[in-house]
Amino acid sequence: MTTDNQALLPVEHNPLASMPHDTHGGISNPVLGMILFITSEVMFFGGLFAAYFNLRANAAAWPPREFEDTLQILPFVGPATILLILSSFTCQWAVWAIRRDDRAVFLRSMTVTVILGITFLLMQATDYVVLGSEGLTLASGTFGTTYYTLTGFHGAHVFGGVVMLSVILYRGMAGQFSGRHYDAVEGASLYWHFVDVVWILLFSLLYLLPGKTPAI
Amino acid sequence: MATTTLTPAASAYRTGLYAWLTTTDHKKIGIMYVINSFVFFFIAGLLALMVRTELVSPGLQFVTDQQYNELFSMHGTFMIFLFVIPMLAGFGNYVVPLQIGAPDMAFPRINALSFWMLPLAGVLLLLGFVTGGTAAAGWTSYAPLSEDRPLAATGYGQDLWIMALVLIGTSSILGAINFLVTIFKMRAPGMTLFRMPILVWTMLVTSVLVLMATPVITSALIMLFIDRNYGGSFFQPPNGDAILYQNIFWFYSHPAVYVMVLPAMGFVSEILPVFSRKPLFGYKAFVFATAAIGALGFSVWAHHMFTTGAVYLPFFSIMTFLIAIPTGVKMFNWIFTMWRGQLMLKTPLLFAIGFLSMFLIGGINGAFSAAVPVDFALHDTYWVVAHLHYVLFGGSVFGVMGALYYWFPKMTGRMMNETVGKAQFVLMFIGFNLTFFPMHELGLAGMPRRIADYASSTGWQDLNVVATVGGFTIAASMTLLLWNIFLSLRSGPPAGDDPWEANTLEWATSSPPPAYNFDHLPEIRSERPLFDLRHGRTAEH
Amino acid sequence: MSSSPRSRTSQTAIFALAVGAAIIGLSLVLVYFGINVLDEGADFISGLYPPIAVTTEGAQIRELYTVIFLIAVAIFIVVEGLIIWTVIRYRRKPGDDTLPPQTHGNNIAEMVWTVVPTIIVIFMFVISWQTLNVVDTASANPQTRIRALAGQFQWQFDYLSPDGTKVLYTELLPLVSLGGGMTVPAGRTVHLSLVSNDVIHAFYVPQFLFKRDVVPGHPNQFDFTVNESDAGQTFRGQCAELCGSGHSIMLFEVRALTGAEFDAWLADKVAKANATPAPPPSGGVGTTVKLSALGVKYEQTSISAPAGAPFRIEFENKDPSTPHNVAIHEGSPTGKAVFTGEVFPGVATKTYDVAALAAGPYAFVCTVHPTMTGTLTVQ
Repeated sequence: MTTDNQALLPVEHNPLASMPHDTHGGISNPVLGMILFITSEVMFFGGLFAAYFNLRANAAAWPPREFEDTLQILPFVGPATILLILSSFTCQWAVWAIRRDDRAVFLRSMTVTVILGITFLLMQATDYVVLGSEGLTLASGTFGTTYYTLTGFHGAHVFGGVVMLSVILYRGMAGQFSGRHYDAVEGASLYWHFVDVVWILLFSLLYLLPGKTPAI
Repeated sequence: MATTTLTPAASAYRTGLYAWLTTTDHKKIGIMYVINSFVFFFIAGLLALMVRTELVSPGLQFVTDQQYNELFSMHGTFMIFLFVIPMLAGFGNYVVPLQIGAPDMAFPRINALSFWMLPLAGVLLLLGFVTGGTAAAGWTSYAPLSEDRPLAATGYGQDLWIMALVLIGTSSILGAINFLVTIFKMRAPGMTLFRMPILVWTMLVTSVLVLMATPVITSALIMLFIDRNYGGSFFQPPNGDAILYQNIFWFYSHPAVYVMVLPAMGFVSEILPVFSRKPLFGYKAFVFATAAIGALGFSVWAHHMFTTGAVYLPFFSIMTFLIAIPTGVKMFNWIFTMWRGQLMLKTPLLFAIGFLSMFLIGGINGAFSAAVPVDFALHDTYWVVAHLHYVLFGGSVFGVMGALYYWFPKMTGRMMNETVGKAQFVLMFIGFNLTFFPMHELGLAGMPRRIADYASSTGWQDLNVVATVGGFTIAASMTLLLWNIFLSLRSGPPAGDDPWEANTLEWATSSPPPAYNFDHLPEIRSERPLFDLRHGRTAEH
Repeated sequence: MSSSPRSRTSQTAIFALAVGAAIIGLSLVLVYFGINVLDEGADFISGLYPPIAVTTEGAQIRELYTVIFLIAVAIFIVVEGLIIWTVIRYRRKPGDDTLPPQTHGNNIAEMVWTVVPTIIVIFMFVISWQTLNVVDTASANPQTRIRALAGQFQWQFDYLSPDGTKVLYTELLPLVSLGGGMTVPAGRTVHLSLVSNDVIHAFYVPQFLFKRDVVPGHPNQFDFTVNESDAGQTFRGQCAELCGSGHSIMLFEVRALTGAEFDAWLADKVAKANATPAPPPSGGVGTTVKLSALGVKYEQTSISAPAGAPFRIEFENKDPSTPHNVAIHEGSPTGKAVFTGEVFPGVATKTYDVAALAAGPYAFVCTVHPTMTGTLTVQ
């Protein structure tokens, strides 16, 4: 049975035309891809958080006696948290700027975001050195293991975010983004917000949640 | 036979091996996935033959206890992570963009990256064999055994295993993102969600499972690595929790079994309508059943832990029983697709029918384990080995074989040999049942899993001999498969666009399809656009 | 156009005849090889059942199994039958190109095969939950308390006082055939607690139709009652959770005695354990051979001792909490035992006094771990 060619609809002459621009409106492919990636990262941190809650529930005292006062919000962790939250704002300003084709504000805001991200990492690293000198390491029982694993992987994700945003900054400086073409900026900013939200949760869990002491 | 004449847009500018190494074309990547998966299938099969050879009689004849532990640990690891999961992803990679009328996947370069992580991971795993021993704590690697306690595995094998699995997990997750964006955003005009081929639906649900579950095992693997190498205490008593590992591990590994079977169910759902010359019975019910299996699949993980004394038994038991219902719905829908049809008993259909029969047995023997008190008797015995192989071999592998015979003509432009195919099916079917049916009885009689040896006073030898004979029969059937592939690549008859008079869009282009797949697309008004075109009609609904 | 109904019937008849002939042919082949088809068939069917349980809990599990088995067979026959019937009945006749009716589905059918399986499945859940409540109980006042200690790669059994706080007697040999095993009173509730020294193990007795994991950091426990009628029997047991290279040899046996016999046995063991040990022999006793065990292996694979004179073995057990000993057999580890040293857990050192041996090759082996061996040359 032969085909009636009139029944066939021609695909756009350029077969690449449908990539990356899709046949349906709404969220662009890269942004949808980033949202899905963030979902997988949420599940990854979910596993780590589940371990934390489980081990915390099993422990008699949390923090254990020897580390009762080791975790301190000042002078590093608290200010670093504020800086990270600020960086989410500057990142969003960058996105809004490029959406309205304001490349100058976009570049400025993105630069500040990257600087804030790097500062966060440096402050976190310094805090690690302090904690280490007070005897808290990965090998310090479940308390040390969970603390460093959770904050360490978060830090790794911040580092990844800084790299991503630096690439965005570089591409922005090379003029690759405009009011009609900014999907990558949106994607990267979504990731950065995710990293910030995870930190807020982590900070609250590790530093704000009241500890537990064993009944005498 | 529907034909479409197509002229490639431009000639390729890269040729030969370099083209394959640098390709971002989903068709080439899909084929590489399939080839890579077959390589590891045969490696894992060889390890299984070694296991069966050792078990054929009491006494350790060929390997030490420790080496035996490495054999079955790596057999399971290769089969799950480097054969079944990537093989299904590979067929999905090839077929899904074609079936939705798209020119490629949403992120072609990430697609290539996803693939190349796999041979690298395979090499990492194989390295264990030459660096003092592979992982030897089972593919499940329970802590604390997997944490290098005295008398456990030595060497770097367990660490290599962890790294390889993290790599494979990342490859899977990137692949899932690719599939989801492609399916949601790149369907041809007219292809609404409920006009997608069922295979696309199963890949969609599978990708959601991969996206949500795989990162959890990544976290477990990382925690294991930290315990092993940095003095961590996640899973080490007294403060760490060995059961924590099992919970996090199985939270992934149970949905993983649906990752391993849903695409194969998709293959069967493509083959049955074509070879029955009727549409799939109950398309919408099928979609909902697939989604239900995906959702329920996240709620049953602790049925692997019934004997730990650390789980809430009734909840996991009822959820495990409930998952039988959507599975049963599918079984009946498949059977009624064939009912009152015109069955063309070619090799793809034979494998699909084999899938139905063997998966039925696998589902039934799973119900025994869902009953908690019975599981107390059957857990960690050969009954479970029987169950898992009936669903994964009788299910997924038979599905893969069906897919291979069905889509080989599209991928290569040549037909596979029917006679050799039928012979392979019969030999494989017999070998498979000879190997794994006796294991039900062995498990009931009390033979535990993962033992290198057993005393002759147990009386287990006879059934072990039968199982070993079956194992070698399976191996023989594989030689038939290899011969068929070789023969067909060299001199198989030309396939043409649509050798099976099939229903879906991949058959509306040449075999193999050109770069970017389609020059023209039929109008899409149902889940069988090509059928509609061939019969000069638009869809009934 | 399509083949006539009569020729389709005759095709089916020929097909059935061929299958029947194959079955008869296969049976004849089996008979020729001396395989009693009926006996083997009966064995095969009974092999689809678990062993007859020797505990009251196990009997409940076996009843549950039977119900599920019958449902499973029924479902299999119906569904597989449907598959086979469909494949035979609706296969395409050569030359027939008619398109069959393009049925898309049937909502009533979907409802039926959703609701009916749901009912079956809920039924199975309810009966299994009821059985679980009977089987997985822990009584408040068990009559006998035993603690099984699992380690790499052996089992030992502590017999506890009624309140569970004191260890009355520890059995270090896991097998009845070696003079050890877990001795239990039939007809009485035994409360077994499970403790691991190292990795996860599992306590599994096939004839109990029961196993329970032994998890370090998560002590488990369960009750069982051996049937009074099964007193006098021995049941094999084995570790059922991969625990390392010695997983396959982690065997044990459970021996059921009558209540009275058990009480007498335990009292006897307790008395012996509390008895003052014999004073060590005075004076030199000739050569001392040093032997040590680490990692469930002897550190020395071959030792020698003088012939015709008593000698000492100074045995250092370096494996914490793991019982070892040295037993000497003629020729090979399965040869006649000429000396069996006391089993003791590490880390500790004991000196064995061995009576004079004739010259020749001997093997030394650990009674608890039969794969731990070495050679002893007496000359």
